[in-house]
Amino acid sequence: MKAKEPKKRKEKRETEIPSVDEDSGNHKEPPPETAEVAETEKSPPGRTGLRASIDFKARGEPFVWIMGGALALGVLMIIGFLALVLWNGIVTFYPGPVEVVTLKNGKKIAGEPFRSESFRPSEDQLKGVDPESRRAIREADGFASRTLYRIGNFDVYNEDFKWAVAHQVAKTETPPGIFFVERREWGPFIGFIKTLTLDGRSVPGEKVSLGTLYAAHDEAVARREAVRSIEVDEIGAINYYIEEDRLALRRTELDYGKKSAEYHTEKEKFERQTKERRAGFTVLKKRIAAINEEDEKYKITLTEIGGREKQLRLSELVRIYPANDLSFFGKMGVYFSRWGEFLTDDPREANTEGGVLPAIFGTVMMTLLMVVFVAPFGVVTALYLREYAKQGTLVSIVRICVNNLAGVPSIVYGVFGLGFFAYTIGIRIDQLFYPEKLPNPTYGTGGLLWASLTLALLTVPVVIVATEEALAAVPRSMREGSLACGASKWQTIRNIVLPQAMPGIMTGLILAMARGAGEVAPLMLVGVVKLAPELPFDSFFPFLHPERSFMHLGFHIYDVGFQSRNSEAGKPMVFVTTLLLIAIIAFMNAFAIMIRNRLRRKFVEGQF
Amino acid sequence: MVSNTAVVEQEAEFETTAYHPVESELGSVIDIDEFSFWYGEKQALFGNTMKIQKELVTALIGPSGCGKSTLLRALNRMNDLIDGIRSEGKIAIEGTDIHDPRVEVIELRKRLGMVFQKPNPFPMSIFENVVYPLRVDGIRDRNLLEETCERSLRDAALWDEVSDRLQDNALGLSGGQQQRLCIARAIASEPEIILMDEPCSALDPIATARIEDLIAQLKENFSIVIVTHNMQQAARVSDNTAFMFLGRLIEYGETKKMFMNPMHVRTSDYITGRFG
Repeated sequence: MKAKEPKKRKEKRETEIPSVDEDSGNHKEPPPETAEVAETEKSPPGRTGLRASIDFKARGEPFVWIMGGALALGVLMIIGFLALVLWNGIVTFYPGPVEVVTLKNGKKIAGEPFRSESFRPSEDQLKGVDPESRRAIREADGFASRTLYRIGNFDVYNEDFKWAVAHQVAKTETPPGIFFVERREWGPFIGFIKTLTLDGRSVPGEKVSLGTLYAAHDEAVARREAVRSIEVDEIGAINYYIEEDRLALRRTELDYGKKSAEYHTEKEKFERQTKERRAGFTVLKKRIAAINEEDEKYKITLTEIGGREKQLRLSELVRIYPANDLSFFGKMGVYFSRWGEFLTDDPREANTEGGVLPAIFGTVMMTLLMVVFVAPFGVVTALYLREYAKQGTLVSIVRICVNNLAGVPSIVYGVFGLGFFAYTIGIRIDQLFYPEKLPNPTYGTGGLLWASLTLALLTVPVVIVATEEALAAVPRSMREGSLACGASKWQTIRNIVLPQAMPGIMTGLILAMARGAGEVAPLMLVGVVKLAPELPFDSFFPFLHPERSFMHLGFHIYDVGFQSRNSEAGKPMVFVTTLLLIAIIAFMNAFAIMIRNRLRRKFVEGQF
Repeated sequence: MVSNTAVVEQEAEFETTAYHPVESELGSVIDIDEFSFWYGEKQALFGNTMKIQKELVTALIGPSGCGKSTLLRALNRMNDLIDGIRSEGKIAIEGTDIHDPRVEVIELRKRLGMVFQKPNPFPMSIFENVVYPLRVDGIRDRNLLEETCERSLRDAALWDEVSDRLQDNALGLSGGQQQRLCIARAIASEPEIILMDEPCSALDPIATARIEDLIAQLKENFSIVIVTHNMQQAARVSDNTAFMFLGRLIEYGETKKMFMNPMHVRTSDYITGRFG
C-alpha cells in the first residue's frame, strides 16, 4: 500500500484540477495553480480525506468488485454443477470390486461398496455392541461409520442394498472367483459359479474357463436376439397387417353399412386373409420354440454368499465378470460395454437398467421437429413485425405480449397443448381421417407432433426477439444500396437483409433449441411416456409416425430418479442420463453454432 | 453559423436564385419545379427550381443540413423509406413526373444509379455485387451477366484489379476499390443518371483522385449529380454547381464562373470559407 501512495497522489491532482477550475468562480477558492502548489507542499489533511473518497467512488472500484464477484460466483456454480454431473456420470459404469464382509455374528454380506457415511447410532443400537467398539464410538463423540453395499440378488434377499456398520464388521475381504452377474430380470446377482451346463453337459464352477463362458454367453445372446427379432419384427409385422386389414374392413363398414354387398365381400376377404396371416404365427412360434429348446441346454447355476443356489439360462444374463480378478483393461472393457448398452439398448426393469436409446431418439427427434416448426414461424413473424408493420402503439403492445409469453410457466403450455392440439385439433383430425380407428385415438392424444408444436409455441418468443434484433442490426446502408439498385422491398429483405441477419437468427434458434430440449413439464402432458412400445420411426409406411407417444431423456431422469422402486439404485442412472442429456444438447448447439460461424465468416471476411 | 435574426433579415434575398448554368447540347435531364419537402413538421426544401443538364456533372454544395442530400435522395425517391414525409412541386426525369402514381418506384430507381457516402458492397462475391441489379430483374443468362459485369467493372476502372478474383468476397477489397465497385454496381443496369452522395468522404486522397478521374470519364455516357462537402472537388469535377443554403437554392451556375465570380453574396461567403 505504501509504495503506491505517491502515484495515487499524482493521479488525484490531475483529476482534481478541472473541478477546482469550475468551482473557483462560485466559491472564491484559490486559483488552480495555488491549489496545486499548496497540495504538493503541505496538503491540508481534511481535504485529502474528502478527495480520496471522491476518487474512490469515481473510479467505481466497489462496482467492479461486485460485477467481478457476481461473474465469478456464476462461473463457479456452473463449473461445480458440470463437475458434479460429469464425475458422477463418468464413474457410474466403472466396475467396482465385490467385497465380502464377515460380521461379528457370523453373517456374511457380499456386494459392491456403494457409499460410506458416519452416523450417530441410538442407544438401542449400541446395546449389543462390545465394550471396545463402544469406547471408540464414545471417543468419536458418538459417531460410528457404516458402508452401504449393493448386494443384488433381489429375488433371494428381497432387498438391493445393505448397511454394514463398522463396529459389527469382523473382516472385509475381496475374494477371487466371485462374479458380478447382470441379469435381464431381478437386477444383478453377486455370487460364485457352481456349475455351467453347456449343451446338456455340466462343468463344475472351478473348472469353467472365462473364454468358454463368454463364448457360450455370446451364443446365448445371439439366440435371445433371434427370438426377440422374431417376436418384435416378424410377429409385429403380421399383427400390423392384420390390424390394417381390420381397419380396411371397418372403413368399408363405415362407408357402406354392415348389410351392404361391399361389406360382405370385404369381410370374406378379411377373414380369409387373417386366416392366412395367422398361419404365419404358427410357423414363427415353432421357430421360437426350437430356439428356446436349444437355449434350455445352456444354463448356469450360481450360489450366493449364504449358499443359496439360483439356476439361470445363459441367455438371461446380460453381462458376467469376475469382479475381483479383472485387470485394468478388463475393467475398461466392462465400462465401455456398459456405455454401449446404455446408448444402444431399450430400457429394462422399469427403466432403471438397460439403455435409453428410445429416449435419445425421442429427445433429438422432438427437438429437431420443434426447430422445423419454430424457425419459419418465428422468423416470418419477426419479419412482419420489424419490416412491414407500421411501428406504433399496436406493434409495441404486440411486442410486449410476445416478450411476456416467454415468462408463462411451461406447464401452462403443456395444458394448452393438450387441450388445443390434442383434444381440439387432434380429435377433429381423427374424425376426418381416421374414423375407422375410433374410439382409439390417433392424433387425439399426446404425441410427438403435438409435443413439438407445444415446445415450438413455448420457444417462439425467443426466436422472434432474436430475429427482430438481428434484422434491426443489418445496416441501413445495405438496405439502401439494394433499394437504389432497383430491388423491391421483398427482394432486399430476401437477398440482403435475411442472409445478413442469419447468424443472429441462428443464435435465437440455438437458444430456443437449448430451452426446448431441456423442457420436461409440458411434455408430460402432451406425449412423453415412461415406456413407449414403439419408436416414432419404423419400417412401416409412412415411416415417421408423429402421432405416437415417445420417450424423453428429461422425463427419464425424473422417472428413474423419483418414480422407481429403488431410488438408491436409480441415482447413478440419474447422473448418467443427465450427463447424456447435457451432452446431446451441447452437441446440437455446437452443430448450430458451427453453421452460424460459417455464415458469420462469410459476412465479416476481411473488412478493410 | 449565422444567428436567427440575420436569417430573417436575409429572407428576402433568398427568394431570387442566381441562375446561370451551362446548357448541355442535349438539353436537361431532370426538371425540378418548385419542389418543397417536409420531414414531418420540419420543412427541408423550400420551392426549389432547377434544370439538371444531360451528360454534365452537377455538383450540389452547401453547409450541413442545407438540404442537398434531401434533394438528391428526392430524385430517386429514396426518401420514401422515411415515415411522415411530404412533398410539393414536381420533379420530372426526361419529362416523366416521378411522383406520378403510374410510375413504379422500382423502375425509377433502375434509371438512377446511386452511390453512397460510405461504400456499401453487399457481403457476396464481387461478381454478384456488380450483377445485383440484373439479378433482381430475374436475369439468369450467364453470358449477359458476365458481359455486364466486365463492362461495368471496366467503366468503373476496377476490372484490371479484380478480374482474376471475381468470385472473392467483395468485403475483402480496400475502401477505394469498394467504392468503385459500388459505382460499377450503380451503372450495371445502364441508368441514365448517377446520383453520388458524398462518394469520397470516406476515402483517402489517392482513392479520391481515382474516383474523380472516373467521374470525368463517366460523364461521357451518364448525367451525374454529386453532393460534396469538398469545394475543391466540386470545382475539379463538375460543370455546373448548385449552392444551397437552409433548404433554398441560392445559386446555380457554371462551376468556373461560380468559383471565380459568384453572383450571390452568400455563395461568395461560403466558398471563401466565411461560414459553413
